[in-house]
Amino acid sequence: MQQEVVLAMLAKEPSQGYQLRARMNDALGPLGEALNAGQIYVTLGRLEKAGLVTVDEAPDAAGPADRERKVYVLTAEGQQRVAEWLADVAWPKPDLAEFHLKLIAAAAARLADPISIVDAQRRELLRRLRDAQRAELDVPEGSDAALLLEGIVLRLQADLRWLEACEANWTTRRRKR
Amino acid sequence: MGKVLLVYRLALRDLRQHAAQAILLVIAIAAATATLTMALSMNGVTNQPFAATKAAAKGPDVVAYLTSTSQASSLVHASGVASSSGPYPVASATIQFDGRTAGVFAEGRSQAPAAVDQPDVTAGSWVRPGGVVIERTFADALGAGVGDVVTLNGQRFTVAGIAVTAAQPPYPNLCYFTASSCPLSFVVEGHNWRNVGVIWMTEAGARGLTSKANPLTTYALNLKLTNPADADAFADQRFVPPPRGGGAPGFQPTYTGPMFSTWDGIAAADALLVQDAQSVLEPGALLLALLAIASVTVLVGRRLSEYARRVGLLKAVGATPGVVAAMFLAENLVLALFAAVIGLVAGSLAAPLLTSPGAALVGAPGGSSLTAANAIEVVALALVVALAATLVPAIRAARTSTVSAINDVARPPGRRGSLIRLSAGLPLSVLFGVRLVARRPRRALLSAANIAVTVAGLVVVLSFHATVNTRLATTGSSLTAGGLSDPVVARDEQMLTVMTIMVVLLAALNAIFTTWATVIDARRAAALMRALGARVPQVSSGLVVAQVLSALPGAIVGIPIGIGLFDVVVNKGSLPPVPWLAGAVLGALLVIAALTMVPARLGARHPVAEILQSETA
Amino acid sequence: MSGSGTALLRARQLRKDYGKGEGLVRAVDEVDLDVAPGETLAVMGPSGCGKSTLLHLLGGLDRPSGGELWLNDKRTDRLSERALAGLRRREIGFVFQAFHLMDELTARENVELPALLAGRTPRQARRRALTLLDRVGLADRANHLPSALSGGQRQRTAIARALVNEPLVVLADEPTGNLDSGATLDVLRLFDQLHASGLTLVVVTHDERVAATADRLVSMRDGALVDETRLTGGSRGNLSDLL
Repeated sequence: MQQEVVLAMLAKEPSQGYQLRARMNDALGPLGEALNAGQIYVTLGRLEKAGLVTVDEAPDAAGPADRERKVYVLTAEGQQRVAEWLADVAWPKPDLAEFHLKLIAAAAARLADPISIVDAQRRELLRRLRDAQRAELDVPEGSDAALLLEGIVLRLQADLRWLEACEANWTTRRRKR
Repeated sequence: MGKVLLVYRLALRDLRQHAAQAILLVIAIAAATATLTMALSMNGVTNQPFAATKAAAKGPDVVAYLTSTSQASSLVHASGVASSSGPYPVASATIQFDGRTAGVFAEGRSQAPAAVDQPDVTAGSWVRPGGVVIERTFADALGAGVGDVVTLNGQRFTVAGIAVTAAQPPYPNLCYFTASSCPLSFVVEGHNWRNVGVIWMTEAGARGLTSKANPLTTYALNLKLTNPADADAFADQRFVPPPRGGGAPGFQPTYTGPMFSTWDGIAAADALLVQDAQSVLEPGALLLALLAIASVTVLVGRRLSEYARRVGLLKAVGATPGVVAAMFLAENLVLALFAAVIGLVAGSLAAPLLTSPGAALVGAPGGSSLTAANAIEVVALALVVALAATLVPAIRAARTSTVSAINDVARPPGRRGSLIRLSAGLPLSVLFGVRLVARRPRRALLSAANIAVTVAGLVVVLSFHATVNTRLATTGSSLTAGGLSDPVVARDEQMLTVMTIMVVLLAALNAIFTTWATVIDARRAAALMRALGARVPQVSSGLVVAQVLSALPGAIVGIPIGIGLFDVVVNKGSLPPVPWLAGAVLGALLVIAALTMVPARLGARHPVAEILQSETA
Repeated sequence: MSGSGTALLRARQLRKDYGKGEGLVRAVDEVDLDVAPGETLAVMGPSGCGKSTLLHLLGGLDRPSGGELWLNDKRTDRLSERALAGLRRREIGFVFQAFHLMDELTARENVELPALLAGRTPRQARRRALTLLDRVGLADRANHLPSALSGGQRQRTAIARALVNEPLVVLADEPTGNLDSGATLDVLRLFDQLHASGLTLVVVTHDERVAATADRLVSMRDGALVDETRLTGGSRGNLSDLL
């Protein structure tokens, strides 16, 4: 889980761990529920160590500090980091190069038929597309979760198109030989 | 039940969307049906009036023309004769009035009313010393009225009255059945045998017209039979054919026996007035029907691909070919029926204006002489026109495979490499025009066919006019020399005017629609030209060039078609002179060019982007 | 590619040729296909591979040049045009990429069209049409003309029309080809619901999203079936894989 995401969630107001998790789930829908519940506390710990977040003990905390009851607050550095992150336009790249090289290597070393590799990958992506789409149909129209799922679906669709192009290309190469 | 609703619904919506086309279709077919209605209404239009006249004027069943009064008694006392009047002396004379001259059949009568053949005085009074009564049509042609002074063989008489009679056919058909109606040389020197009319005067007056040079040789004896149906038999029995080798038929100065004229012969002569008119209107209706077919074919032909798509869709959702064809035809047939009704009503209303029995007869033509059979004929004409234009596309649409129909991409424009190369060096508008025609040869062909039919129609009308002119020139010269107006010719010309107006109207409508259709089809191409920098006048003239290029062959072909049509329909007609034909073609082309300019200029008002966007590729 | 049990739609050695001799083009090449009742089958392939032609053959819109076609155990490849029309009225519903609605009829009247053709009374047809329009979510647009409807709404109207006579199978030719992603989702949602209620659907598409909703996916190339993928019957993947 991106550290900056958690930071940004704290920018609205100081929150407890479970509150943050709730907000995440709202935003991610079924995908959020699949997340490990403990992940968020690990991230919060790292942020605290990096000085981007501090802990405000709940006034009525008695006995051992229950992590659920800790209230996390952004520090000034934390706020600055959030601002920088929001202004950042980097877009994570999918790893096409790896797959591309996989095909070439398999063909060159006669390890496997590139077309079967492509087909297998297609099948996998199709299944994922199916799952994502199913999920999208299950959540309320126009909700945050629906929007996210739409993005996932469209990405998968784009990747599938590229795989079709790969298949056509490698089929032609085989014919030429 | 559901299918009927479906057909009704689709037809109604389509009509609403394409109202202009529907209206044009109705007008085209209504013109043809109205003309046919008028033609059919004239059947027997004179029958009733003749009967009324015969009753009012105590018309005889047989009129015998004797050469001496001694021949009378055997006839008067013959079996089957109920009553008689006469014999009356009949003098031949020449009448002059207001610069007009004609021959006269002057019958001498008593002032007292006769038992048989007492002409019905419609104006003024009966004969008196110095006063003559003129037959009504004759009086109209002469232009003489009660109180006018006319000259008969140099003697002056006053017109005492105007009358109608059932004993002689009216002017100018008095001598139509020459053998029986004009037994003597009533053809006055230098006059045409048609230019003879009847007048009545006192016996003394009639005898006064004779002279040594012009002796009294004829007496008229009017007979009423106990059974009028026997009139022909009566006349045939007693009619002795003239000796052989005697001069011109009917004019037998040497003939001594009585000649007979029967009431049905006279009635037929009375009907001549309208028969001629019918002979113009019936082929006219046919011609209009052909023009209507041409118009409807263009109207339908333009929407073929849209129809095809609709047909494909219907088939895809499960309509059988029969249902599809029915839907296709229903709309047009219903419109045709509607047009037939309009034509029937309009024709019936207009008919009285054209079918008046003439001045010769009293009484109005009986009601509407349009029978149920006639009405069916008119409706059939309308349906045939609609069917002829839509049947072929309907069948083709029903038979095309569903897939090709539903995926019907408008036939991509063709490419005529040779034409394109040829036109490369021409000025822009001409080039544009040529390439427009080359793109869609079928449309150009349809347009040409349409113009061909239009010009053919004009040629037929011109031929009719030429025929009438020729006839006037040859047979009517003495009439025009005499200065009288021939009512038959007048009636003919009336008919011709009606025909001409309708043909020109329909031709104009046809031309308007064809040119408008051409401009609409070329809208996208024209917009593209403008987008690439052509000026509006260049583009408009390009459209005009395209239209004229496709119209020219059509106009030229239309001439022989028109002549052929006229030949089939009228025998012994005359052809219009070449200058007329050339004028017709040129005129048609000019009109078409002008008509193309209007929508072209109007279309040029729309911004280019709007047109390019709205047209689907 | 054989199916199991009783297939609703069966094709054996189906062939469609265009042209003759040298110019012979084999649009559909010896295709064997089974479609089980209640199944959604997707047919994918590059453009020009013959998938639309195959669908047209299955739906009786076009005649095969060879092979056999069975619908509900009845032979359909030799039927007359009249009988095929009856088939399209009663047993088969078709959905096109270009919607193919009649522009001069309202949505409701468009949906009523096949019902009226099949001989239902106007009242029955009207009631059925309104029910279906409600089912596809267009109850409030029943009296609109197609020009007043968005692409997605038009396609949903077309789907309602395809369903009005309760067909055994719905054939859809690129149903989302002319739609944006929002409208596509609406149509997919609808297909999903219909699938859940037991409808048999054969969809030709080049949209992976549409293919992903199918139970089974076949690929065509140059007129022949070259691949088959079963998409249901496997375990649902882990959602976290998606992120």
